[in-house]
Amino acid sequence: MSNLSITVEVPDKKLPGDLAMWFFILAELTVFAIFFIGFSVSEQLNTEMFSLGKAQLHQTAGLINTIALITSSFFVAIALTKIHKAQAKQAVLLLLTAKAFAIIYISVKIWEYLSLFEQGITIETNTFFTLYFLITAFHLMHVLLGMVILSFIAYSAWQGKYQNNDVSGFEAGTSYWHMVDLLWIILFPLIYVI
Amino acid sequence: MQNNKTINMTAATKGWFLLITLSVIAIYLPEFVDNRSVTIMGALVIVVLKGQQIVDVFMELNNAPKLWRMLFLSYIVLVPLIITVIYLA
Repeated sequence: MSNLSITVEVPDKKLPGDLAMWFFILAELTVFAIFFIGFSVSEQLNTEMFSLGKAQLHQTAGLINTIALITSSFFVAIALTKIHKAQAKQAVLLLLTAKAFAIIYISVKIWEYLSLFEQGITIETNTFFTLYFLITAFHLMHVLLGMVILSFIAYSAWQGKYQNNDVSGFEAGTSYWHMVDLLWIILFPLIYVI
Repeated sequence: MQNNKTINMTAATKGWFLLITLSVIAIYLPEFVDNRSVTIMGALVIVVLKGQQIVDVFMELNNAPKLWRMLFLSYIVLVPLIITVIYLA
């Protein structure tokens, strides 16, 4: 009987980007986990207040923001495929598109805040709105930081700094942006839906 | 040469479509399900499904060392699970 050997090329497992960025992301996720669990416990202690508070939020605005962030993350993921193929200019255009969707998110969030302020609702109204403003504003700050990071990697890509498959800086930036998206997909149903 | 560790556009597009679809289902869930406990569990199962897409497809952790992938997948399972337990307690 003849021996038949098959060689299969197994790609090595590699963490995208910098290790430090992944530890930073884990730290951020932990902080938000505490917020999410704190919000859930507070809701169980003040069921009626939270139910009334959620009824005053604009669910469609929440959905628009969800679509904006997911779409933004999609363009960032595609930008990474382009940078891997050494198509830096296309990657920059995709990052700019991703930022445009992030601007939609920010605009809708500011509109939401202003609408609540017009109704006389502030961070001091009750426990629900204290947590609502704290958690969503903290997330908004991460979106803003993410936009700064996206701008930085877009500028670096434009300058031709990600060449010869040395793209770890670009990967680190995109990973941070996906974290912002990951946090929102938990935040959105917790505050707007359930 | 195309890097074999990189996600392709088809996977990203499928991931995007699934994420959008699940988000729309999540927001209309309370209108179709009367039981609040079922709504909570349904919405949080959707979170897990969406989280897996982001972790594996967008963050590309499906090609990362197992420990890191498991860390992030644990997060998107554990946090919704704890929230479910708190709501249903």
